[in-house]
Amino acid sequence: MNPLEMAFPALASGNYAVTSPAVSDYNCIAWAAGESDRWWWPDPLGLNFWPPEIPRLETIDSFRLAFEALGFAKAKNDQPEPGMEKIAIFAQGGKPTHMARQLENGRWTSKMGQSEDIEHALRDLEGVLYGEVALFMGRPKSGATPLAKGP
Amino acid sequence: MSLSTLAPPCQLAALFQELATRWRQETAFLSSTTEIATHPAYQRIIGFGPQAIPLILAELKKKPEPWFWALTAITGENPVATDDQGKVQAMAKAWLNWGHENGWLA
Repeated sequence: MNPLEMAFPALASGNYAVTSPAVSDYNCIAWAAGESDRWWWPDPLGLNFWPPEIPRLETIDSFRLAFEALGFAKAKNDQPEPGMEKIAIFAQGGKPTHMARQLENGRWTSKMGQSEDIEHALRDLEGVLYGEVALFMGRPKSGATPLAKGP
Repeated sequence: MSLSTLAPPCQLAALFQELATRWRQETAFLSSTTEIATHPAYQRIIGFGPQAIPLILAELKKKPEPWFWALTAITGENPVATDDQGKVQAMAKAWLNWGHENGWLA
Protein backbone atom coordinates (compact mmCIF):
# COMPACT_ATOMS: atom_id res chain seq x y z
CA MET A 1 0.00 0.00 0.00
CA ASN A 2 1.40 3.42 -0.90
CA PRO A 3 1.69 6.30 1.62
CA LEU A 4 -1.37 8.07 0.17
CA GLU A 5 -3.57 5.01 0.62
CA MET A 6 -2.16 4.42 4.10
CA ALA A 7 -3.09 7.97 5.09
CA PHE A 8 -6.51 7.83 3.38
CA PRO A 9 -7.72 4.21 3.60
CA ALA A 10 -10.81 4.89 1.45
CA LEU A 11 -8.48 5.48 -1.50
CA ALA A 12 -7.21 1.90 -1.25
CA SER A 13 -10.13 0.80 -3.46
CA GLY A 14 -8.23 2.48 -6.30
CA ASN A 15 -11.03 4.93 -7.07
CA TYR A 16 -8.65 7.84 -7.58
CA ALA A 17 -6.04 9.07 -10.04
CA VAL A 18 -2.79 10.95 -9.49
CA THR A 19 -2.88 13.94 -11.84
CA SER A 20 0.39 15.79 -11.14
CA PRO A 21 3.89 15.28 -9.81
CA ALA A 22 4.55 16.01 -6.12
CA VAL A 23 5.68 19.62 -5.65
CA SER A 24 5.81 22.07 -2.74
CA ASP A 25 4.95 25.10 -4.87
CA TYR A 26 1.29 25.28 -3.83
CA ASN A 27 -1.16 23.67 -1.46
CA CYS A 28 -4.78 22.59 -1.54
CA ILE A 29 -6.12 26.03 -0.66
CA ALA A 30 -4.29 27.63 -3.60
CA TRP A 31 -5.46 24.76 -5.84
CA ALA A 32 -9.09 25.27 -4.78
CA ALA A 33 -8.64 28.96 -5.62
CA GLY A 34 -7.32 28.01 -9.07
CA GLU A 35 -3.67 28.85 -8.38
CA SER A 36 -0.58 26.67 -8.61
CA ASP A 37 2.30 29.01 -7.83
CA ARG A 38 1.99 29.86 -4.15
CA TRP A 39 1.08 28.40 -0.78
CA TRP A 40 -2.07 29.85 0.84
CA TRP A 41 -2.40 29.71 4.62
CA PRO A 42 -3.23 32.29 7.34
CA ASP A 43 -0.16 31.37 9.37
CA PRO A 44 0.58 33.65 12.33
CA LEU A 45 4.08 34.56 11.09
CA GLY A 46 2.71 35.89 7.80
CA LEU A 47 4.98 33.64 5.74
CA ASN A 48 2.36 32.34 3.31
CA PHE A 49 -0.14 34.11 1.14
CA TRP A 50 -3.52 35.06 2.54
CA PRO A 51 -5.81 37.68 1.00
CA PRO A 52 -4.73 40.88 2.76
CA GLU A 53 -8.25 42.03 3.64
CA ILE A 54 -9.18 38.74 5.34
CA PRO A 55 -8.31 37.97 9.02
CA ARG A 56 -5.31 35.65 9.30
CA LEU A 57 -7.18 33.13 11.42
CA GLU A 58 -7.34 29.35 11.09
CA THR A 59 -11.12 29.26 11.22
CA ILE A 60 -13.82 28.14 8.81
CA ASP A 61 -15.16 31.72 8.83
CA SER A 62 -11.83 33.13 7.72
CA PHE A 63 -11.60 30.59 4.90
CA ARG A 64 -15.22 31.32 3.91
CA LEU A 65 -14.43 35.04 3.74
CA ALA A 66 -11.30 34.41 1.67
CA PHE A 67 -13.33 32.48 -0.89
CA GLU A 68 -16.25 34.92 -0.80
CA ALA A 69 -13.67 37.48 -1.95
CA LEU A 70 -13.17 35.23 -4.99
CA GLY A 71 -16.89 35.25 -5.79
CA PHE A 72 -17.95 32.07 -3.97
CA ALA A 73 -21.02 31.81 -1.73
CA LYS A 74 -22.24 29.06 0.58
CA ALA A 75 -23.67 26.06 -1.30
CA LYS A 76 -26.11 23.46 0.02
CA ASN A 77 -24.31 20.31 -1.06
CA ASP A 78 -21.79 18.62 -3.32
CA GLN A 79 -24.23 17.91 -6.15
CA PRO A 80 -22.86 19.17 -9.48
CA GLU A 81 -24.86 22.11 -10.88
CA PRO A 82 -24.53 23.20 -14.50
CA GLY A 83 -22.58 26.44 -14.75
CA MET A 84 -21.40 26.28 -11.12
CA GLU A 85 -17.90 25.69 -9.76
CA LYS A 86 -17.97 24.18 -6.27
CA ILE A 87 -15.37 23.84 -3.54
CA ALA A 88 -15.39 21.99 -0.21
CA ILE A 89 -13.67 22.96 3.03
CA PHE A 90 -12.62 20.08 5.30
CA ALA A 91 -12.17 20.76 9.00
CA GLN A 92 -11.24 19.00 12.19
CA GLY A 93 -12.22 20.44 15.58
CA GLY A 94 -13.39 23.63 13.87
CA LYS A 95 -10.03 24.18 12.15
CA PRO A 96 -9.75 23.97 8.37
CA THR A 97 -7.44 21.20 7.21
CA HIS A 98 -8.00 20.83 3.49
CA MET A 99 -9.93 22.06 0.45
CA ALA A 100 -11.06 20.33 -2.74
CA ARG A 101 -12.51 21.66 -6.00
CA GLN A 102 -15.20 19.98 -8.08
CA LEU A 103 -14.43 19.00 -11.66
CA GLU A 104 -16.77 19.13 -14.67
CA ASN A 105 -17.37 15.38 -14.29
CA GLY A 106 -18.65 15.80 -10.71
CA ARG A 107 -15.55 14.27 -9.13
CA TRP A 108 -13.10 16.35 -7.09
CA THR A 109 -9.51 17.49 -7.42
CA SER A 110 -7.20 17.98 -4.45
CA LYS A 111 -3.59 18.97 -3.94
CA MET A 112 -2.42 16.65 -1.19
CA GLY A 113 -0.22 18.90 0.95
CA GLN A 114 3.29 18.77 -0.51
CA SER A 115 2.42 15.68 -2.52
CA GLU A 116 0.53 15.12 -5.75
CA ASP A 117 -2.78 16.40 -7.11
CA ILE A 118 -5.38 13.66 -7.24
CA GLU A 119 -8.86 13.23 -8.74
CA HIS A 120 -11.11 11.48 -6.23
CA ALA A 121 -14.51 10.96 -4.66
CA LEU A 122 -15.03 13.78 -2.16
CA ARG A 123 -15.73 11.71 0.97
CA ASP A 124 -12.75 9.42 0.36
CA LEU A 125 -10.53 12.05 1.99
CA GLU A 126 -12.56 12.22 5.19
CA GLY A 127 -10.94 10.65 8.23
CA VAL A 128 -8.20 11.05 10.78
CA LEU A 129 -6.03 13.48 8.81
CA TYR A 130 -8.52 15.91 7.25
CA GLY A 131 -11.61 15.43 9.42
CA GLU A 132 -14.89 15.97 7.59
CA VAL A 133 -16.34 18.31 5.00
CA ALA A 134 -17.57 21.35 6.93
CA LEU A 135 -18.68 23.74 4.18
CA PHE A 136 -19.54 23.77 0.49
CA MET A 137 -19.24 26.92 -1.58
CA GLY A 138 -19.99 27.68 -5.23
CA ARG A 139 -19.74 30.40 -7.84
CA PRO A 140 -20.83 30.79 -11.43
CA LYS A 141 -18.10 29.46 -13.68
CA SER A 142 -17.67 32.81 -15.37
CA GLY A 143 -17.85 34.69 -12.06
CA ALA A 144 -14.26 34.49 -10.85
CA THR A 145 -13.38 37.63 -8.92
CA PRO A 146 -9.74 38.73 -9.15
CA LEU A 147 -8.05 39.19 -5.80
CA ALA A 148 -7.55 42.72 -4.56
CA LYS A 149 -3.93 43.88 -4.64
CA GLY A 150 -2.08 43.77 -1.33
CA PRO A 151 -0.72 46.86 0.42
CA MET B 1 19.99 6.97 17.98
CA SER B 2 17.04 7.94 20.10
CA LEU B 3 15.35 11.15 18.97
CA SER B 4 15.01 12.15 22.59
CA THR B 5 18.76 12.41 23.25
CA LEU B 6 20.82 15.55 22.84
CA ALA B 7 23.34 15.30 20.03
CA PRO B 8 26.95 16.49 20.22
CA PRO B 9 27.96 18.68 17.25
CA CYS B 10 29.59 15.75 15.41
CA GLN B 11 26.27 13.88 15.39
CA LEU B 12 24.04 16.86 14.72
CA ALA B 13 23.88 16.41 10.93
CA ALA B 14 22.82 12.78 11.27
CA LEU B 15 20.17 13.62 13.84
CA PHE B 16 18.97 16.50 11.66
CA GLN B 17 18.50 14.12 8.71
CA GLU B 18 16.67 11.62 10.90
CA LEU B 19 14.30 14.30 12.17
CA ALA B 20 13.83 15.84 8.71
CA THR B 21 12.93 12.44 7.24
CA ARG B 22 10.36 11.83 9.96
CA TRP B 23 8.95 15.35 9.49
CA ARG B 24 8.62 14.88 5.71
CA GLN B 25 6.91 11.50 6.07
CA GLU B 26 4.44 12.64 8.70
CA THR B 27 3.49 16.01 7.15
CA ALA B 28 3.51 15.09 3.44
CA PHE B 29 -0.26 15.43 3.05
CA LEU B 30 -0.78 18.50 5.26
CA SER B 31 -1.54 21.98 3.95
CA SER B 32 -1.61 23.75 7.29
CA THR B 33 1.65 25.63 7.71
CA THR B 34 0.99 25.67 11.44
CA GLU B 35 0.61 21.90 11.66
CA ILE B 36 3.66 21.36 9.48
CA ALA B 37 5.77 23.70 11.62
CA THR B 38 4.55 22.44 14.97
CA HIS B 39 5.37 18.81 14.16
CA PRO B 40 7.56 17.52 17.02
CA ALA B 41 10.52 16.68 14.73
CA TYR B 42 10.44 20.18 13.20
CA GLN B 43 10.23 21.76 16.63
CA ARG B 44 13.22 19.69 17.69
CA ILE B 45 15.17 21.07 14.72
CA ILE B 46 14.21 24.62 15.72
CA GLY B 47 15.56 23.70 19.15
CA PHE B 48 19.01 23.15 17.64
CA GLY B 49 19.17 26.95 17.33
CA PRO B 50 21.75 28.58 15.00
CA GLN B 51 23.52 25.22 14.50
CA ALA B 52 20.55 24.20 12.34
CA ILE B 53 20.88 27.15 9.94
CA PRO B 54 23.54 25.68 7.58
CA LEU B 55 21.80 22.30 7.63
CA ILE B 56 18.45 23.85 6.71
CA LEU B 57 19.96 26.09 4.03
CA ALA B 58 21.68 23.02 2.51
CA GLU B 59 18.28 21.30 2.32
CA LEU B 60 16.69 24.38 0.76
CA LYS B 61 19.45 24.42 -1.85
CA LYS B 62 18.58 20.83 -2.82
CA LYS B 63 14.80 21.26 -2.82
CA PRO B 64 12.47 24.07 -1.75
CA GLU B 65 10.47 22.86 1.25
CA PRO B 66 8.66 24.70 4.06
CA TRP B 67 11.72 25.40 6.20
CA PHE B 68 10.84 29.10 6.37
CA TRP B 69 9.07 28.99 9.74
CA ALA B 70 12.14 27.35 11.30
CA LEU B 71 14.53 29.88 9.76
CA THR B 72 12.40 32.80 10.93
CA ALA B 73 12.03 31.28 14.40
CA ILE B 74 15.78 30.73 14.78
CA THR B 75 17.04 33.98 13.22
CA GLY B 76 14.22 36.45 13.88
CA GLU B 77 14.55 37.46 10.23
CA ASN B 78 12.28 37.22 7.20
CA PRO B 79 14.09 38.25 4.01
CA VAL B 80 11.11 37.34 1.78
CA ALA B 81 9.42 40.24 -0.07
CA THR B 82 5.71 40.68 0.67
CA ASP B 83 4.87 39.98 -2.98
CA ASP B 84 6.60 36.60 -2.65
CA GLN B 85 4.59 35.39 0.37
CA GLY B 86 3.86 31.70 -0.19
CA LYS B 87 5.96 31.47 -3.38
CA VAL B 88 8.16 28.63 -2.26
CA GLN B 89 10.79 28.94 -4.99
CA ALA B 90 11.19 32.69 -4.42
CA MET B 91 11.18 32.22 -0.63
CA ALA B 92 13.95 29.63 -0.88
CA LYS B 93 15.95 31.95 -3.11
CA ALA B 94 15.55 34.85 -0.66
CA TRP B 95 16.76 32.69 2.23
CA LEU B 96 19.71 31.34 0.25
CA ASN B 97 20.69 34.92 -0.63
CA TRP B 98 20.34 35.79 3.07
CA GLY B 99 22.61 32.83 3.87
CA HIS B 100 25.29 34.08 1.50
CA GLU B 101 25.04 37.68 2.72
CA ASN B 102 25.29 36.66 6.35
CA GLY B 103 28.14 34.20 6.00
CA TRP B 104 26.17 30.97 6.51
CA LEU B 105 26.85 29.74 2.97
CA ALA B 106 30.15 29.84 1.09
